[in-house]
Amino acid sequence: MIPALALAVGVVLGLLVQPSVPVSVQPYLPIAVVAALDAVFGGVRALLDGIFDDKVFVVSFVSNALVAAVMVFLGDQLGVGGQLSTAVIVVLGIRIFQNLAAIRRHLFRA
Amino acid sequence: MADMEARGSRGAGERPVGSTGGLDSPFFLDVTTITVDPAYLQAAAARAQSGTARSGGGRTLMLPLVLLGLLLTIAARQTRLAAPAATRARAALIADARERTALSDRLQARVESLRAEADGVRNKALLTSSAGQLLAERLDRLELVVGSVAVRGPGVEITLDDAPEVEGQEDLTGDGTVRDRDLQEVVNALWSAGAEAIAINGLRLSTLTAIREAGEAILVDYRPVSPPYTVAAVGDPDSVEPAFAESQVAAAFHTLRELYGVGFDVRRRERLVLPPAITRLRHATVPTASARASG
Repeated sequence: MIPALALAVGVVLGLLVQPSVPVSVQPYLPIAVVAALDAVFGGVRALLDGIFDDKVFVVSFVSNALVAAVMVFLGDQLGVGGQLSTAVIVVLGIRIFQNLAAIRRHLFRA
Repeated sequence: MADMEARGSRGAGERPVGSTGGLDSPFFLDVTTITVDPAYLQAAAARAQSGTARSGGGRTLMLPLVLLGLLLTIAARQTRLAAPAATRARAALIADARERTALSDRLQARVESLRAEADGVRNKALLTSSAGQLLAERLDRLELVVGSVAVRGPGVEITLDDAPEVEGQEDLTGDGTVRDRDLQEVVNALWSAGAEAIAINGLRLSTLTAIREAGEAILVDYRPVSPPYTVAAVGDPDSVEPAFAESQVAAAFHTLRELYGVGFDVRRRERLVLPPAITRLRHATVPTASARASG
């Protein structure tokens, strides 16, 4: 309940405040968001597996987002930013998909 | 380690969820099977060992989830803002191009009005003497031939068009396409049929105008024209039209129309208005002293 509430508060805050993102950070924001989503679904999966841990979740959430953004930033510097962000999105996409499938199996037993 | 893997293996296929992957595990198998951070398993194992309860309630989760909601909203908003920006840039460029075209049209109109004014002044000056009067008449005739004045009058209008594309069948041979040579032949046939002034798609032909092809486009006086091509010729329709109809060119186009579906249509017109051609006179000049010294 609290997590869902927190998410809603974040969305409302974003809509109300409408913070502007520095241009230099803009390309890495979507990647960071996808990485954070991956951490969230991983956390939900761990919760259903009965092994969830707050500290691990916070650490994985922050580091996932940062690492994904930094990877794409490095890729940009080396001229392979587009390809690297594709690679990151593919890997994270597969993981999110697998976790959602596992969550579905947990919830619906099917 | 063994019990840790046993806990994590539920619902994750043949490989344990928390496996850290060894040299024997292909990378892509890891990607698709290790979907939960192994740290969860390690923390769970540590807790089991020390016997402590799970840490905290939901409060630690607040911050990351508020952050996630915030980031999601920002990213979505950014994406939405970025798309119209590209559209705006495009719209600005289009508006810019339109404005320049309008400016060029206005300047062209001004050139024409100034030319008419100059002609009027010149004619007035010439008409003061009988020699000047003869000269003015000669000028009028020459201007008509050269194409530097607008003309109007009856004539014939010939429409040429590429053959319609057959569905799913590309015209590789180009047999049904109107080429620069076709336009040249029609124009020449019209001149010899007695046409006094000719324009293609509103571009007046002067004595210096070239009709040629560049790539796929036909250029008339270096300006591109696109099909259908309308060749308007001012001249006595009663003599021009039959003379053109009897020409070999007309016969050839009738054949092309029958064989390939090339558009070819000849019509009499009671009133045609042809704009003046943009003529740039090329003539010899005496080089200036400095040019002679350097040359």
